[in-house]
Amino acid sequence: MRPLPRIDPPLVNASGILSYPEVFAAFEKAGACLGGYVTKSVGPVEKAGNDNPVVVYSAEGGAPVLNSLALPTQSPEDWEKDLASLRLQRSRLIVSIYGGTPGEFARVAERMAPYADAIEVNLGCPNKVPGEQTIMESIGQSPAVSGEVMRLVRGACEKPLIAKLSPNSDYLAVAEACLAAGADALGCGNTLGPGLAIDLTSRKPILAGTTGGISGPALKPINLRMTYEAYARFQCPIVAYGGIATWRDAAEYTMAGACVLGIGTAFLGKGTRESAGLTRAIWEGVVAYLDGRPFPDLVGEAHRLPAPDLTHA
Amino acid sequence: MPEMARVLENRRESPWTHTLFFDREVKCAPGQFMMVWLPRLGEKPFTLSYPNAITVKRAGPFTEQLAALEPGDPIGLRGPLGRGYPLMRRPALIGGGVGIAELRLLALASEKPIFVLGGRTAEEILFHEEFRKLGPVHVATEDGSLGAQGLVTSLLPVQAPAYAVCGPERMMAACLDLLPPERTYLAIERYMKCAVGLCGQCTCSGWRVCVDGPVFPGTWVREMEDFGRRRRAKSGRWEPV
Ligand SMILES: Cc1cc2nc3c(=O)[nH]c(=O)nc-3n(C[C@H](O)[C@H](O)[C@H](O)COP(=O)(O)OP(=O)(O)OC[C@H]3O[C@@H](n4cnc5c(N)ncnc54)[C@H](O)[C@@H]3O)c2cc1C
Ligand SMILES: Cc1cc2nc3c(=O)[nH]c(=O)nc-3n(C[C@H](O)[C@H](O)[C@H](O)COP(=O)(O)O)c2cc1C
Ligand code: FES
Repeated sequence: MRPLPRIDPPLVNASGILSYPEVFAAFEKAGACLGGYVTKSVGPVEKAGNDNPVVVYSAEGGAPVLNSLALPTQSPEDWEKDLASLRLQRSRLIVSIYGGTPGEFARVAERMAPYADAIEVNLGCPNKVPGEQTIMESIGQSPAVSGEVMRLVRGACEKPLIAKLSPNSDYLAVAEACLAAGADALGCGNTLGPGLAIDLTSRKPILAGTTGGISGPALKPINLRMTYEAYARFQCPIVAYGGIATWRDAAEYTMAGACVLGIGTAFLGKGTRESAGLTRAIWEGVVAYLDGRPFPDLVGEAHRLPAPDLTHA
Repeated sequence: MPEMARVLENRRESPWTHTLFFDREVKCAPGQFMMVWLPRLGEKPFTLSYPNAITVKRAGPFTEQLAALEPGDPIGLRGPLGRGYPLMRRPALIGGGVGIAELRLLALASEKPIFVLGGRTAEEILFHEEFRKLGPVHVATEDGSLGAQGLVTSLLPVQAPAYAVCGPERMMAACLDLLPPERTYLAIERYMKCAVGLCGQCTCSGWRVCVDGPVFPGTWVREMEDFGRRRRAKSGRWEPV
């Protein structure tokens, strides 16, 4: 297994959030406390994705967030140009990739590898353009197909590989197949669902793509469980995503087994300076909670504490 | 979540421009925008020109549909979004085309504004009469049908303690070259998807226009290499402005 690159502090953005290299550079310049940046998932051919509306959220916050971007991507050539011109000063770059077939995953990985410190393989985006012919959702459902994707990607590049799982799957079986085929870490995980929201006036689904993946606070307990179970089973490096908005969320995921924490939906409505402030607050909170211990000490802590002693009663 | 409102009035301002009034007032800062949704047709950003209206220039399929709305029709509204203009004293408001409408609420909120407006023809100089009641109005039209003949930049520089510029990006870029950036604010347009800072679609040199803007200080805009040059299309591919 290849170790993940050193991501310090161990915070990243989630794929599809911020998305583009120039936004990463602006975040770094604004003092964001992110040790790495993850690109929008790069696909094999240019694709515009769904029409608007692509998000549903509550202006008051708290409610589940739905998105149905459906993996828009510029062409791999255009991504190459974009990534070649990126100059990050302190942070690592993780390139997220997807394909319509295992072979396409491998071809995209091969092209992106020269620019990446690690490759994240998106095995579970529940969104697609209505009528679109893709096996994207089924790839992440099938341990055999996911394993095949990972085997071909492993053959196509030398960089550390993160298999990003879908919570809508038998994810431990998928994870096992991916790790056996050469994945170095797990991403726990993508959005849930998809879910639906209906407008009461037009009496139709709001999202142009009809349904959308669920992220934000509603997703946290589910991906936290995925992180916990995956760590218990594999003790491998885990990058966690799902509703991380405070240092408490970050600390919970860490104790469940994550060694890198991804922030996505929590940036909703926040400008660059406010977003940078959020990342600092999350990391400072975790550091205060560590109370002098090194961060790796906390990883998987929830699995190590002895069971509470109930014999006094 | 978009909230459904009803159209109260569709007011034709010019052969290409309509102000759509709806039955909901939005508490907003001048320069903030709404994501306007027509079910099954799309959702796009428009700056509030009244607390309960947007002014739309017909430019493509979506704006054609907006311009065809009638009283009683439903219209989805999400917002107010983004950052508007700071309060300014005696600002020069420099507008081009439909950007003139996007300066209307700022004009009403400003102490003693002066106006510098440009368009292809007299009909593009929106709210001309209303603005004349608020302060001096300088106009340039490309065909000379109102004010001086030429581009809005031909009226610059004007002396003012602060400047707000809204119009086509190339016009704004030309204006910024003639204005003191530390006292100038500009409203940038980009194609938007989420409009709440998540997806990164609306980037201008790494600033997400939907949350960091759409109104930016001139000093920042000066540093944006993409301003006046390129923007991301729906797939993320770069295209020239
Ligand atoms: C924050 C913000 C506020 C806005 N406020 C207003 C407003 O108050 N009134 C108004 O009429 N419009 C406004 N717009 C623009 C509006 O959202 C639409 O993009 C525009 O009206 C085109 O709509 P369409 O779909 O009908 O045309 P489209 O089919 O999208 O395009 C028609 C033409 O416009 C060009 N075009 C597309 N996108 C852009 C762009 N980002 N910048 C410049 N040209 C472009 C296309 O190349 C094409 O030639 C605003 C945009 C933003 C980002
Ligand atoms: C708008 C949006 C776009 C996303 N795009 C992608 C994507 O391109 N690739 C991917 O692997 N995950 C994508 N995701 C999923 C996120 O990376 C993340 O796994 C998920 O949202 C959970 O984290 P959060 O609750 O912090 O947002 C997207 C999520 C959102 C909200
Ligand atoms: S439109 Fe999504 S970040 Fe601005």
